[in-house]
Amino acid sequence: MDEQALIHDAQAGNLDAFNTLILHYQDSIYNTALRILGDEDQAADATQEAFISAFKSISSFRGGSFKAWLMRTVTNACYDELRRQKRRPTTPLEPDTDDGEEMDSPRWLADPGMTPDQKAEADELEHALQHCLNNLPLEFKSVVVMADIQGMDYSEVAIAVRVPVGTIKSRLARARLRLRECLQGFSELLPTSFRLEEGSNV
Amino acid sequence: MNQRDLELLSSYLDGQLKPSDSTRLEKRLASDPALRAVLDDLRSARGLLRQLPMRKAPRNFTLTPKMVGKNPPLPRSYPAFRFVTALASLMLFFTLGLNFVVPQIAQTPAFGMGGSGDGAPEVFSASEAPAVPEFAATEAPVTEEPSILMQPAPTETVAPAADSAREVETPSEKQGVTNSADLPAETTAQTPPEPPVPPVWQIVLAAIALLGALAMVMMRQAAASRWRRK
Repeated sequence: MDEQALIHDAQAGNLDAFNTLILHYQDSIYNTALRILGDEDQAADATQEAFISAFKSISSFRGGSFKAWLMRTVTNACYDELRRQKRRPTTPLEPDTDDGEEMDSPRWLADPGMTPDQKAEADELEHALQHCLNNLPLEFKSVVVMADIQGMDYSEVAIAVRVPVGTIKSRLARARLRLRECLQGFSELLPTSFRLEEGSNV
Repeated sequence: MNQRDLELLSSYLDGQLKPSDSTRLEKRLASDPALRAVLDDLRSARGLLRQLPMRKAPRNFTLTPKMVGKNPPLPRSYPAFRFVTALASLMLFFTLGLNFVVPQIAQTPAFGMGGSGDGAPEVFSASEAPAVPEFAATEAPVTEEPSILMQPAPTETVAPAADSAREVETPSEKQGVTNSADLPAETTAQTPPEPPVPPVWQIVLAAIALLGALAMVMMRQAAASRWRRK
């Protein structure tokens, strides 16, 4: 895929060229939205909004990392979605567990080769991680999702979030620290290799 | 653990420290188990996040022209229709305005000279009275159109003014009555002025504008239905 040529064509109004770019990036954009919003349907809506907005403003793309530019668009779409939720809070349709947490559906299961027990464990771990991500402040969440889940480097994240690299470093460190503290509450779910040290003086 | 050390450890984990800072931190890590424990915790947290499964997009998010607000492609003749319709509409409004304004301009001097106002008697006062009859006497037979209305006014005022200067004292009601009595008779006798643009032209222009607009709407609807079928 000649990304630069496709971007150039898309900037000239060629929708087919932009759709080729969408097909290439839609999984990572959707996953970013999913981890920031924690809801599949909202993530799909935010992803669609992000791509529409990206096409309309593609003339403002001046080179550099196209992925980072798209990430900025999807992050903005997620912020809009979260603001909308704050204005109009909704009640989830899924039943709650005894401790008041929302139950995830089996659709969250990732690897079809897993045994039912493994699937259940993976599901619970993912749920725990998503729970901890949801508890992060928005500006920390977007940074940790892009850096640690999407594997983007600091400069790309800085472009996507429009803050200096130094701020990214600071936010990422604090986000990881908060996640660590949150995940200690789910230590029984964590794989042995990932068990967190308890009582370290952070 | 202070914020600075936390940032250093986090950046070290990602290989984002300068070699000199990295070496310094490694020395501290070798001698500080607490610092090492925090680094392990951060590494574990990052490892767990990286283990999160990447989900496949539930559907394709490709865009359609409609989604991005692109208009359906219109026929090449559409701009020509738009131009003709706009031109016909403009000309129609212009001619309507012309037909409305021009007759009024033509009538305005007649009312002004008719002297139905209260100031009329003073206008024909002793000093000016002689001038008016002379003007009226010379001009009246020559002019035909606007002076039809203008003519009677001086001739009526001539009589009192020419007979005697004392008659200038004539009560204003009298003159008002004579003027207002004369004018209706004259206007009813006069045929309404011809409009500058014949109404048939306006009908033609209105028909062009209407048909053009109709054709444009039909073109748009046809294009939109083709768009939806795609």
